[in-house]
Amino acid sequence: MRMNQVRIATIIAAVLGLTLPGVALAQGQPAEVQPPPPTQPGNDDQLVVDVTGGQRAALPIAVPYMPTPAEAETPAGGTGTLGRQVAEIVAADLRNSGLFTPIGPSGLPNVSYPQVSAPDYGAFSATGAQNLIQGFVQANPDGRLTVGCYVYDVAGQSQLARQGFVVSPRDWRRAAHRCADSIFSRLTGEGGYFDTRIVYVSETGPARRRIKRLAIMDYDGANHRFLTNGQWTVLTPRFAPNQQTITYMTYENERPRVMLYTLDSGQSRPLIQTPNMTFAPRYSPDSRYIIFSMAVNGNTDVYRVAVAGGTPQRLTNSPGIDTGGSYSPDGSRIVFESDRGGSQQLYVMDADGSNQRRISFGGGGYGTPVWSPRGDLIAFTKTGGFRIGVMAPDGSSERILTGGSFAEGPTWAPNGRAVMFTRGASQGQLWYVDVASGATRRVPTPLGGSDPAWSPLRD
Amino acid sequence: MVREEAAGLYASLTGHVLLLAALTYGVLLLPKPPLASPEPMEVSFVDEVSLVSASPTPQAVPAPSAAPQLGPVEEAAPSPAPVAAPTPAPPRPALTLRPATPQKPPDARDRRRPEESRQGRAQQSRGARLADLNLDGLGRDTPPSRANQAPGAVMNAQAAANIAQAITRQVQPCADRQVYPGPGAERIVTSLALSLNPDGSLRGRPRMTGQRGVDDENRRYAQRVADLAINAFVSCSPLRGLPRELYDVPRGWSNFTMNYRLPA
Repeated sequence: MRMNQVRIATIIAAVLGLTLPGVALAQGQPAEVQPPPPTQPGNDDQLVVDVTGGQRAALPIAVPYMPTPAEAETPAGGTGTLGRQVAEIVAADLRNSGLFTPIGPSGLPNVSYPQVSAPDYGAFSATGAQNLIQGFVQANPDGRLTVGCYVYDVAGQSQLARQGFVVSPRDWRRAAHRCADSIFSRLTGEGGYFDTRIVYVSETGPARRRIKRLAIMDYDGANHRFLTNGQWTVLTPRFAPNQQTITYMTYENERPRVMLYTLDSGQSRPLIQTPNMTFAPRYSPDSRYIIFSMAVNGNTDVYRVAVAGGTPQRLTNSPGIDTGGSYSPDGSRIVFESDRGGSQQLYVMDADGSNQRRISFGGGGYGTPVWSPRGDLIAFTKTGGFRIGVMAPDGSSERILTGGSFAEGPTWAPNGRAVMFTRGASQGQLWYVDVASGATRRVPTPLGGSDPAWSPLRD
Repeated sequence: MVREEAAGLYASLTGHVLLLAALTYGVLLLPKPPLASPEPMEVSFVDEVSLVSASPTPQAVPAPSAAPQLGPVEEAAPSPAPVAAPTPAPPRPALTLRPATPQKPPDARDRRRPEESRQGRAQQSRGARLADLNLDGLGRDTPPSRANQAPGAVMNAQAAANIAQAITRQVQPCADRQVYPGPGAERIVTSLALSLNPDGSLRGRPRMTGQRGVDDENRRYAQRVADLAINAFVSCSPLRGLPRELYDVPRGWSNFTMNYRLPA
């Protein structure tokens, strides 16, 4: 009789497993349904329902204008006006990521200051938004601004996060970006990248007399300014992780060499004094070293030198061109490109130059590798067709992120989620792509642009 | 008695005696029916009960008494004080641009979650009705009486499957609206403990009891997937059409577990 009971239970379980996919019972459940974790109490005597659902789409999110508790004039404008502008920047940041579909700020119900912490969920549920962003802008007695930022779950009618930022009036845009970063982080699980800057090469003029200047701007194109006057062509600018200096290559007096630019002083100096051609610089994660390429007697290798100065240490020694070095985020390894095998391919070595091994084996060439801040991927330019792609540090899982027109020169967002690059061979533009979703967005620049380098999150 | 009457009486008695004798003789001549011999019956002893009991609960909670009491009438609970308008307090000033957590607005408003507040209001109004009717002895926390259940209501495997299917069908549209946060998030399975009222509404906010499938690659999405799981259920709450008689039975739908995951 006991065997009969067991057999009946097994039959019921098998029938349920065949006819009710996604539905499992706590008792007699089919083998393919994993048991709940042992920490769950009472599951043996409870009904268990399995639900699988979701979509790969942008998240609808309501961003109404942000009120002020008291209208006050500041050097950046009235707090009421700033509240509207902050909301617009937050919505734009979220839209730029490609992961959100902001609703508003225009067209949404006005939010009063008391409602900032007690939302009228019903007013926003009709918009279809799953989340709601509210905030306020307040002038403080010390002359600074406070921007409050709240994240709500509309259906759950609960607060998910809140943060406040105190800034000088001239940094009000940064407060908006920080607000957007906190929202992005809470709703995606990733770090943000909106409070960042881009240094790049601004280009203008005909191809044979192109003027190339270093320029810096916020990630969204705001606060743009030039760092060099265009007298000499510049290439490959890179941010120091501590954001105090920028290294780049210049053709000053027709002599290619690596320079260091100090942001506070606006002064440049050569990285090292050498008659040899130096190029392709990049910082170590601790900002103390720079790896670069140097051509000596017709052979180009990767070298390392302290930012403070000293004798360069040679890391590669193969015949051919070894260049484009980029550190792993822990500083233990370096990825670089080399034509030592007959074609341009990617190689990885330890930080001291040992254990060099090839990681790219696909058709066509590979260049300009950049290690992700997360350490999990290496972005590159696939030179056959000029596409931006990523692969694991061991060379596996290669995939191409961009299609269509010419693209090269990737740089990672500080969260390792997005890659910015140059699009267009003649008149370059700056674009970035979300690595997970493939969503792309153009970064506005006043002139043509190339060679972008994304800064870390600002302090 | 005349002679003719005596003769008649004599004849009648004689006839009755003869009839009785004839009947007795006839009965004795009938064949005897065979005695039914009992079939042997196999009896076995078990030490486990069946999967579920099919008999009505022998000691059901008695139905609440509706008879009026003679005691004094209690006052209904007072209505809540007027809600003060919330005022968000500004974050603490910082010398540099660093996140400053805004202080919680100092208000006298009931800060419980909305569903808790709704529940509280429901209980409060219920309390008022009870006071009006003077039904002493019917506590606010009295569980639903099982005496109201249909006799023999059991959550057998088929019933459980049907209810699970009904719940899945109602939650699915809201689950489908949840947005995939990033690579590897589809490997995370979030388990929620859900408590429902008999009308299908939530009795308290869903509580995450565990997650599995979390690894180094997708750990950053774990909290977000928990959010999505809760949102999927809450957005389609309250549930409709679940059988009331299977609400408060063993493995009934008053308390159950929902495992949520994103599609691969």
